[in-house]
Amino acid sequence: MTKKKTLLGLLVFLAASGVFAQQEVVLKISEGMPMILLALPEFVVRSASPLALAAAQEIRQTLSDDVKYSRIFKLLPKDYYGYIRPLNPDKIFFKDWDSVQARLLVIGEVREDGGRVVFDGKIYDVKSERFIVGKRYQAEKNGLRLVAHKMADELLKLHGEKPIFTTKIAFVSNRDGNDEIYMMDYDGAGQTRITFNKIKDYMPAWSPDQRTIAFTSYRGGNAGLYLRNIYEGTETQITTKGTSYSAAFSPDGKKLAFCSTMAEEGNADIFVYDLESRKTKRLTFNAAIETAPSWSPTGREIAFTTDRLGAGSPQIYIMDAEGSNVRKASFGGNYHDAPAWAPTSERIAFVSRVDNTFDIYILNLRTNQITKLTENNVRNESPSWSPDGRHVVFASNLSGSIQLYTVDYDGANLRRLTDRGENKLPNWTN
Amino acid sequence: MKKLVIFSLAIILVFSFAVSCKKKPKEVPPPPPQAQEQPTVEKVEPPVVQEPQLTEEEFFLQKSLDQINREKPLGTVYFDYDKALIRGDAKATLDTNASWLKRFRTVKVLVEGHCDERGTEEYNLALGEKRAKSAQDYLLSMGIGSDRMKIISYGKSQSINPGHDEAAWQMNRRAQFLVIEK
Repeated sequence: MTKKKTLLGLLVFLAASGVFAQQEVVLKISEGMPMILLALPEFVVRSASPLALAAAQEIRQTLSDDVKYSRIFKLLPKDYYGYIRPLNPDKIFFKDWDSVQARLLVIGEVREDGGRVVFDGKIYDVKSERFIVGKRYQAEKNGLRLVAHKMADELLKLHGEKPIFTTKIAFVSNRDGNDEIYMMDYDGAGQTRITFNKIKDYMPAWSPDQRTIAFTSYRGGNAGLYLRNIYEGTETQITTKGTSYSAAFSPDGKKLAFCSTMAEEGNADIFVYDLESRKTKRLTFNAAIETAPSWSPTGREIAFTTDRLGAGSPQIYIMDAEGSNVRKASFGGNYHDAPAWAPTSERIAFVSRVDNTFDIYILNLRTNQITKLTENNVRNESPSWSPDGRHVVFASNLSGSIQLYTVDYDGANLRRLTDRGENKLPNWTN
Repeated sequence: MKKLVIFSLAIILVFSFAVSCKKKPKEVPPPPPQAQEQPTVEKVEPPVVQEPQLTEEEFFLQKSLDQINREKPLGTVYFDYDKALIRGDAKATLDTNASWLKRFRTVKVLVEGHCDERGTEEYNLALGEKRAKSAQDYLLSMGIGSDRMKIISYGKSQSINPGHDEAAWQMNRRAQFLVIEK
């Protein structure tokens, strides 16, 4: 058991019995298809303790919120439960659930064991009357949300998706005085400070394993690039010269793309640092500004911003990861920046300035179509995708102060995540 | 530790003195001879310290860096929207800054580049650095040594006017100077 899990007060294990044996069932539907109706009846509470009762409540509520957020599953409407016999976890009447159109049935059982909560979650396919996945989680009170998120991630995995509910969003906040790095759950819960000093730390970027954050800090007298393993508390300085920022880990976690003025004072170019060989390679050689690198899902290409066609007018370009085959990707406007390549598809979210408003757009590289994601006449900036490519987190001064929001890929479901101080530069693990 | 040593030495001294006293209790050391001569009267007057005439440079060196920076000896220069070129009005300010830097030859400065809020984080950080570089290049052309200047960009993160209109934006698109060594 790792130290991290101990800290979270969570113990996860798969029961070895046949009942819990994992089966290869993957439900696959495409975007825009009707969502899968999922029944989540009230959990069965096996011990009559206040802790177990409260835990059942909290886990089910969090799991419901996750399911609603997924855009893949839809919760069975409440009144449908009244049309059928109440759930008997020992003998499930699948025909009942089928009669109310439920396709998946998630059953939860909660009991208390020596001050800890034990949660059993089972997922059934209603039509085939088959058990699909079972998980048993043991947690302290402070780990209950994580239990629900883990269960929700099982649903995503079933659908062939990358888990998102246990992932974190790193960001910059000035809530404690100056710009420092923080992180939080995907839904804004559990906001935790990561860097502690009086000097500006900003532009965080997650490693794919969610253990390391690359960021820029002014602590060395210049703006240098640092890596911090947040669970071990170790820190490594990557650059010592010039201004280095806008870091992005390659999808395999082996390389770090960033922009820096280390080669030419005052002129930002794109570099890639190899975390194994510790060698830095320069990718762009241009007197114009090159910044904001973002890797393609395969790691073979890098999108970035350059104003080589005209100072003051940044555009989005794509190059091969070695720096060759440079081509322009954005069109139609005179100020495009902050490209964020979706981790699952050929789409790039970016910021475009029109008059004095900034909005987030999505460019589909296959069809060359652009869709507008935000529309509220303010400054919407710094888009970053969820690992499953269905949601985007961004910073906006919609409320007057700069705060973080998430929105779905089609502009639906705008939700605010932060409210203390000003919060910006979000980066979602992917 | 030291105190303990002194203390024990003192005890030994006192003890040995007491022992020696016991041995020769009647012997008293003779008093020291009294000085008989009358001392010559000396008139004591504290010497008047001549107030030194500080040169401008010495006066400058007496101040702390904070004090110097509070007095804002170097003028801030402003830029056009999305641009890093030195404007005509900025040249006059930079000329004044150059002559001040020539007067105080030991001074080193940090040239900070800043942007207004109407740009993205990444591009503004790069643009701020270009502005700092433009200001530095101009001073280099005026004969200020490159070893006396460093540049840094803060992008749009350190505005001095929190407003959202052209007047505020103009004040925030700037290169300013911080004395970091004297």
